[in-house]
Amino acid sequence: MANKRIELPQGTLDLLILRTLALEPQHGWAISERIQQISSDVLLIRQGSLYPALHRLERRGWIKAKWGTSENNRRAKYYELTKTGRKQLELEKDTWKKLAVAVAQILETA
Amino acid sequence: MFNDLFFRLRSLFRRDTVESEMDTELRFHFDQQVEKYIKFGLTREEARRHARLDFGGHEQLKEEIRDARGVNLIESLFQDIRYSLRIFRRTPVITGVAILSLALGIGANTAIFSLIDSVMLRLLPVQKPEELVQLLRANFSGTGGGTSFTNPLWEQVRDHQDVFSSTFAWGENRFDLAQGGAVQNVNGIFASGDYFDTLGVRPVAGRLITPADDRRGCPAVAVLSYGFWQDHFGASPSAIGSTISLSNHPFQIIGVSSPGFYGVEVGSKFDVAIPICSADVFDGKDSRLDQRSWWWLRIMGRVKPGISRDQLKARLGLLSPQIFAGALPKNWDEKGQARFLQLTLVAAPAATGVSYVRREFGQPLNILMGVVGLVLLIACANIASLMLARAAARHKEIAVRKALGASRARLIRQLLTECVLLSTAGAALGLFFARWGSSLLVRYISTNDDKVFLDQTFDWRILSFTAAAAVFTGLLFGVLPAFRSTRGSLTSAMKGSQTADAESRTKFRPGKWIVASQVALSLVLLVASGLFLRSLVKLVTMDVGFDRNNVLLVRADLHTAKVAPEQQPAMFEDIENRLRSVPGVVSSSRSVLTPVSNRMWNRILQVDTPTPPKGDDALANFNFISPGYFETLRTPLLAGRNFNGSDTKTSAQVAIVNETLARRFFPDSNPVGKFFRVEPEPGQPAPPIQIVGLVKDAKYDSLREDNSVTAYFPVTQVREHAEVQSYELRTAMRPSALILPVQDAVASVSKAIPLEFGTLAQQVDDSLVQERLLATLSSFFGGLALLLAMIGLYGALSYLVAQRQPEFGIRMALGAPKGSILRLVMRDVVIVLAGGLTAGACLALATVGVLQKMLFGLAPHDTFTFVAAIGVLSAVAVAAGYLPARRATRFDPMVALRYE
Repeated sequence: MANKRIELPQGTLDLLILRTLALEPQHGWAISERIQQISSDVLLIRQGSLYPALHRLERRGWIKAKWGTSENNRRAKYYELTKTGRKQLELEKDTWKKLAVAVAQILETA
Repeated sequence: MFNDLFFRLRSLFRRDTVESEMDTELRFHFDQQVEKYIKFGLTREEARRHARLDFGGHEQLKEEIRDARGVNLIESLFQDIRYSLRIFRRTPVITGVAILSLALGIGANTAIFSLIDSVMLRLLPVQKPEELVQLLRANFSGTGGGTSFTNPLWEQVRDHQDVFSSTFAWGENRFDLAQGGAVQNVNGIFASGDYFDTLGVRPVAGRLITPADDRRGCPAVAVLSYGFWQDHFGASPSAIGSTISLSNHPFQIIGVSSPGFYGVEVGSKFDVAIPICSADVFDGKDSRLDQRSWWWLRIMGRVKPGISRDQLKARLGLLSPQIFAGALPKNWDEKGQARFLQLTLVAAPAATGVSYVRREFGQPLNILMGVVGLVLLIACANIASLMLARAAARHKEIAVRKALGASRARLIRQLLTECVLLSTAGAALGLFFARWGSSLLVRYISTNDDKVFLDQTFDWRILSFTAAAAVFTGLLFGVLPAFRSTRGSLTSAMKGSQTADAESRTKFRPGKWIVASQVALSLVLLVASGLFLRSLVKLVTMDVGFDRNNVLLVRADLHTAKVAPEQQPAMFEDIENRLRSVPGVVSSSRSVLTPVSNRMWNRILQVDTPTPPKGDDALANFNFISPGYFETLRTPLLAGRNFNGSDTKTSAQVAIVNETLARRFFPDSNPVGKFFRVEPEPGQPAPPIQIVGLVKDAKYDSLREDNSVTAYFPVTQVREHAEVQSYELRTAMRPSALILPVQDAVASVSKAIPLEFGTLAQQVDDSLVQERLLATLSSFFGGLALLLAMIGLYGALSYLVAQRQPEFGIRMALGAPKGSILRLVMRDVVIVLAGGLTAGACLALATVGVLQKMLFGLAPHDTFTFVAAIGVLSAVAVAAGYLPARRATRFDPMVALRYE
């Protein structure tokens, strides 16, 4: 199971977190679970990169944190997208798409 | 011990809300993960184990989050500071030595820099100083830049210029406040009507000089500086309207200028300002206002907005012929007049004012800046080796912190914080040293005659210099130890062993480099200070041709005393006779000039030899003396006769010449009995003057001069005005003990005569301020550098010896004699010393060239100085190295072995 997982390239984690939070506020564990699920277990997010990334995004003001109660009735820290975060998400999505197209082009033609 | 350290480190991390929130968040994630694994069918125990594996280092993760949050930076900074302070408290001696040497280093740098700042960099504290330019006169080729102008020239400039929105002239002048007796000099300026207005200076009381005050035949009015008003009038408003006596002439005080304005001359401050037109009052009928060769004024202007430098230059060039033609000195010969008419006006930026001090001490200050820079480097090197040694001792602690999840960057930051903290403390203390040091320096470069005044308030420039020095030094001595000590493997450190011979040897290598570079830098400083010292010694011990000791100089001013010119010769002589009989006077004389007094009188001589000297070679320095002069100054008469009572105003004109004059004008014959003439002004007669005596050479204007060509004439035969004359009184007592009896004796002739007292020794000394400043300070700093370098060497060696203690123990247990251990350690000393000396000698040889101009009587590559500096340094280094080396031989081998 472990060997089909891919480590994320630098910088893409931010984009994935922002995208995940665009749907609804989530706590850290749920974010990592969702990314893993949606990517059909291909992408594995380690806590060691997830939490520093979350706090970094919070510092930049792209997401903000609120304390809430989880499904199993525990205190959990929920993150949600801010207005600038939403803008940033669009920006990064664009950049990513362009990058993906460009890389694909090179891979196919070169 | 481990627990203890662990506990201490943990307690460092303050547990505030952010921390506990972080814990809660991570705990939640962990629990969710465990739940997930349990759902997959693992037992709780296994689920927890898996989750923990997923998590990796808990503390490490938290540390990374803290970093990501950014707040960590500030938070950890406070932690670092608190931790550093605790470390400092545990090692007070090392910390004290480090802070003190830094304070000396940074303090010295700040002191010198603050002088450079106030002498060279600071803008004048006036309105828009950057618009100010000073007018200079340049000759046709554009070389030379005389700054002085005659009053007729100034009036031409004032009335015909169209490039300045306003312009002003000023001239400095001493005035005597006392009315007769010992003088009480104040710094005065003659100011043109627009002086204060152009500079934008406002009155704090009364009014300032205006163009209306500066007209021919103006009433005598004076403006006081704020400082003078405070010191002499207690800032009393009633001073306005009262009268002040300046060199025996009453002036009405009309106002006081604002505080913080000291004039445009940096290095002195004015006390009173009077209009230029009032020069009439002092000069009588030959007033300097109409003299076309009396250069006493300087000119500044404020450039009109929109005029570029090129436009200014072009316009001044166009205006010049008319201006100089209008003030042509008609009594000059044709060649002189032609040269005068070729002069042009040029403008030089004057935002920083003008300064005699800047000219005189600019270069010495730059040299001193280099010297103190080196001292600071040596101090840094010292602290670097201290830090290195301490970092090695903290090896274990650093390993533990690493094990607990501290990143290397974090540890380096901690160590650098310690260093910057040290240097900040050093800088703060250094500021105090600097304050004190710079005012001491200003007092040091002040002489009796020239009290140097500098505005020494610390401005932003000085404070940022000090701050930069603190940060720079902190990083400089911190970087190497920080990087070295955070390297290395965890496990070996955790094992608690610090031996492994090979490792400890490599660890000492940077220490060796540091000490070697200290030795090198110290050698450069020692060579520089040796050169300055030897120059000064040469100047002081040189045969100056007169005996400067035990001679009191008394300058009497019969002009200010308002004695009619025709009565002056008799009165001067009367005073001389009375002074001769003052108790304690061994011999006495009078003269128009005294040696090395900054005053000159020179003219061109003509002789009837086949090849007479031409141009400047024919220039001779003059003095007019009474018969007792050579006896009083102890300048030996070599041939011919002295002056005597038969040399009177009406007798044949005679002269005594010195050896250099004789050699130059009469190379192959005995000068006594020969004749010469003084080049006359056009249309004047030039009577032949017979040489009656030959004296030994003596310094005339400065100790640094080559032999002066000097001619002495009887004071009775002085043709021009000599309204100020000096008396030389040789005594067996302290010269100053004569002051009161002399005052009484002169008062019995007239109480109105201003008298200025000084000693010949002091006068000679004052001419060596620059040399003495450089010699004293560079020796002081050279000594300091030597001390610092030796502390560095001693510390580094002690550390090495302590580290190799087990090795030495084994060697001794195996029967190595003490001498071989000693040799082992001393070999290191010699290697370091040899390397440092070689590098230092090369560095010194390459750099001392810049000192050339400041030296006297020796070349910068003076062998003796180099050898002496190397000798001193080696001796001290060997001594500093011997102590730890001997300690190495004192170890009890048993103790050392038990350690292993």
